[in-house]
Amino acid sequence: MKPTIHLSTKSWTRREVLRACLCGAGVGALHGTPLVFSQALAAGAAASNRILVILELSGGNDGLNTLVPYGDDAYYRHRPRIGIRAEKLRKIDERFGFNPGMAGFEGLYKDGRMAVMHGCGYAQPSFSHFTSMAYWHTGAPNSGEETGWVGRLADAIDPKPTPNFIVNIDEAQSLAVSARNHVPVVFDDPERFGRKGLYQTRPLLDRVSDAPQDGNASRRYLLEVARSAREASQLVRDAWAKYKTPVDYGIVPVDLPKIASLIAAGMPTRLYYTSYRHNAFDTHVQQPDLHQRLLTYVSDAVAGFMKDMQRIGRADDVVMLVFSEFGRRVPENTSLGTDHGTANHMYLVGKPAKGGHYGAPPKLDALDKGDNLVYTTDFRRVYASVIEGWLGYRDTHKLLSGKFEAFPVFA
Amino acid sequence: MTRYFAAHQFGLAALVLWSVATNAADWTGDLAPIGSQDWNAARAAHLLERAGFGGTPDEIAAYAAMTPQAAVRRLVYHGSVPNELPAFDHSGAHDPGLEPFPPSRPAATDLAKKTGESLGVKVKAAGNRRLQPVADRFFYWLRASRLETHRLAYWWANRMLVTQRPLEEKMALFWHGHFATSEEKVRDYRKMLRQLELFQDKGTGSFRELLIGVAQDPAMLAFLDAAVNVKGAPNENFAREIMELFTMGVGNYTETDIREAARAFTGWNFVGLNFVISPEKHDGSVKTVLGRSGPFDGVAVIDVILAHPVTAEYIAGKIYRYFVREEISPALRKKLGAQLRESNYQVAPLLEAIFLSRDFYSAASVGTRIKPPVELVVSTYRKMGLREIPGVPDFNEVTEALGQKLFYPPTVAGWAHGRNWITPGLLLARGNFVYDTVFPDINFLPPDRYPGNDYQIAAVSEKLAMGLDVTTATKPDAKEMTSMSMQMADRDEDFNTRLASFRGWQLAIQKVKPIPRATAQLDLTGIVRAAGCRTAQQAADVLLARFLSVPVDAATRAQIGKFLEGELGTGDVVAAGTFLEEPLRATLHLILSLPEYQLG
Repeated sequence: MKPTIHLSTKSWTRREVLRACLCGAGVGALHGTPLVFSQALAAGAAASNRILVILELSGGNDGLNTLVPYGDDAYYRHRPRIGIRAEKLRKIDERFGFNPGMAGFEGLYKDGRMAVMHGCGYAQPSFSHFTSMAYWHTGAPNSGEETGWVGRLADAIDPKPTPNFIVNIDEAQSLAVSARNHVPVVFDDPERFGRKGLYQTRPLLDRVSDAPQDGNASRRYLLEVARSAREASQLVRDAWAKYKTPVDYGIVPVDLPKIASLIAAGMPTRLYYTSYRHNAFDTHVQQPDLHQRLLTYVSDAVAGFMKDMQRIGRADDVVMLVFSEFGRRVPENTSLGTDHGTANHMYLVGKPAKGGHYGAPPKLDALDKGDNLVYTTDFRRVYASVIEGWLGYRDTHKLLSGKFEAFPVFA
Repeated sequence: MTRYFAAHQFGLAALVLWSVATNAADWTGDLAPIGSQDWNAARAAHLLERAGFGGTPDEIAAYAAMTPQAAVRRLVYHGSVPNELPAFDHSGAHDPGLEPFPPSRPAATDLAKKTGESLGVKVKAAGNRRLQPVADRFFYWLRASRLETHRLAYWWANRMLVTQRPLEEKMALFWHGHFATSEEKVRDYRKMLRQLELFQDKGTGSFRELLIGVAQDPAMLAFLDAAVNVKGAPNENFAREIMELFTMGVGNYTETDIREAARAFTGWNFVGLNFVISPEKHDGSVKTVLGRSGPFDGVAVIDVILAHPVTAEYIAGKIYRYFVREEISPALRKKLGAQLRESNYQVAPLLEAIFLSRDFYSAASVGTRIKPPVELVVSTYRKMGLREIPGVPDFNEVTEALGQKLFYPPTVAGWAHGRNWITPGLLLARGNFVYDTVFPDINFLPPDRYPGNDYQIAAVSEKLAMGLDVTTATKPDAKEMTSMSMQMADRDEDFNTRLASFRGWQLAIQKVKPIPRATAQLDLTGIVRAAGCRTAQQAADVLLARFLSVPVDAATRAQIGKFLEGELGTGDVVAAGTFLEEPLRATLHLILSLPEYQLG
């Protein structure tokens, strides 16, 4: 299920879930507050051709078996069966090595194009996929926030708003891109993102009437989406038809070629959002083979995408953020898998990123009483890093409803 | 008779307009039952729309002629309504040798390497790729089970289309989205059928019985890894989803409650299609769940959960949001929850109360619900007067493109709700579904015979037929092969994966019966004639009234009438009678592409 919100409405599931987690605090500060963007674009103007791509790994990716802290004995003590032996790893230094399937990530790290942010999480973490993912989407854990951080970002840096500013490739709109002033372009298959209809029906098919003032909010919403669809679909289809690449994205490209096609076609889009769907990373049982396979796919796809950006000459303009809604429990379970956990890595990938380690890896011998990692970095610091450092928007305090210090990932 | 229908259908449009306009806005939140004096065709239509899959003008008239109490009772207490429908016609794709099906292809081939046999197939004694038959059989079952599940979806959709008990199927659909499992993981169409039958049988009865049935249902047990939830090593997945998604919602239990509840469900498993408890794997010691303590087993924990006040409110609230509208006040939720709890968790009385309430017929509730994909497709076919789900376009391809493929919910949380069904891409796809129905694609390729681009096996098939050796035939077409995953798939040791994928498909289509590929047997000319239409505008109005739940503005109505007239070259529908069908279909495509058509 992809809970989503458009404009001032809300999905019951989301509201229900978020309300339930208020934990006694007042309703989140952003609820109902109009956002003011007057001084927003001070440094932003210079960054107007910069693109941010967000790749979500849904299901709770096991960070410890992705970037393995092989230098730490505690890792092997907690994971006698599913711990990955050092000699199998793709080592990047004397402490860490990537899962054997991740040739792509290893290459990117060694080329200095990957920043690894350690211990990312938040206080009072939720172990529910849907709740925790909602927090990452809204950038407002344990609050009643209803718009997505990417949506608010778009509203902030593009107050106009420009059509097609946000593209979300998925079967349903992600909460992360829900905005007040932007209608994200959401589609799955670019070839089918178009209206069939006989020639003589086109004028009426493309006509979108004005919404009558009858209090039927659903109808108003439908008309707005119809307008957006009409504007975006031709552009998307043309971009896809024109796009030809020799780059190998691997077996599961995770929709990255679709994004590449739009970038190659010069779409005005600055924010792209896609995901590895359906909680694929929720490896409760029989983790080793499956997890390595999934990581191989992701690694191939991301490496392929970066190669493709190089090919079309946009490598300097594109940065990718990779994250998951939580990591997994440190000790393995008895089904050769892992249960829901807490802190995890985030990755910032691309030529503009200054590669290396950021943040402090959580201690494996100082777990909380649920046997989980204690987070060391609020994930919103990484959001702030791309918002300020990459997209040049300084007023993150309002956007993220708090001050989160950016990492110096971008020169 | 004709004049009656004509008047009725013209009148229907007016009635819809009228009833929406004069609907007391103060009926919002009013649970008092609607009186007979307020009962009319528009409200009967609304009831049929929500409690089923929409009504044809005849059905609407029949329900309008009843009292509201009788109408609702007929839908809710459907057990006495005769309903002769055929059972699912299995292809015979399964056989006992496939049990127990290994959790992965490596597990299947490893077992074969160790014991010389797996999946009922022996390892080749000598020669190349000795494990190939095992790999082939593994992929055979994956493909066959999926194809059979697609047939199962057709079987169910056909039931939705023609059943005399629409609420039975609609509740089953609701429960399928609530207790969501996917064949993607379950990998056994028979388990999906068994679960569907549970929803059909117990969907409007006792929620307690239904919940216990689900907790012991093989599809659910497989989906939530119950098999590995054993004494000393409880696996939380099952317990977590039961509490988080199926009964209480986040925030009403602690992580400790989950871990404790998991212990109560230990030892619960399935063998084949049967629920079994392994006593030696069950943790019989004391657990504390939601403040209660005892040597609980799964049923006892379910009773503890049901006793918690939040559960009835959670379930009643979800039912309300599905059948009435998204917004529900905390007070209303409490009231409905109390009703459910006090009736001992009987679902039918709750449904009856909801469908009779004035709130259900308030302006906020009528014509404001975005139709989910399966309901959109089935109700469209119903209103078209079809008696069979067309094979072209393919029902599963359509519903998947719209975001709701039966038996394949994206996660255990089920599908989206409300506005999540509508994005730019999805809105266009809804219009395209209509186009594909009224103007069937002459280039249509049945997906149960043509694998498309899946796993690139179409090319493999051709190359093998041309006499190429397996290694050459399974090499992917010339492209930079730098990705690890592409390279890994091509190792040719004990078996070749791409060959197995191809063979699996080939074996599956030999077993699984093809889905009949009739196009929509649509007769719009007949519908318009039977309504006594004389002018193009009248014909347009008949179609608008028949299909829409929300009236369009006068300008749009006039433009549609004008469009039809333009297509006919005359405003006289009788004179154009011999070539009426295609223009009517183009007109219907226009009407059903309107944003308003998405509302029901």
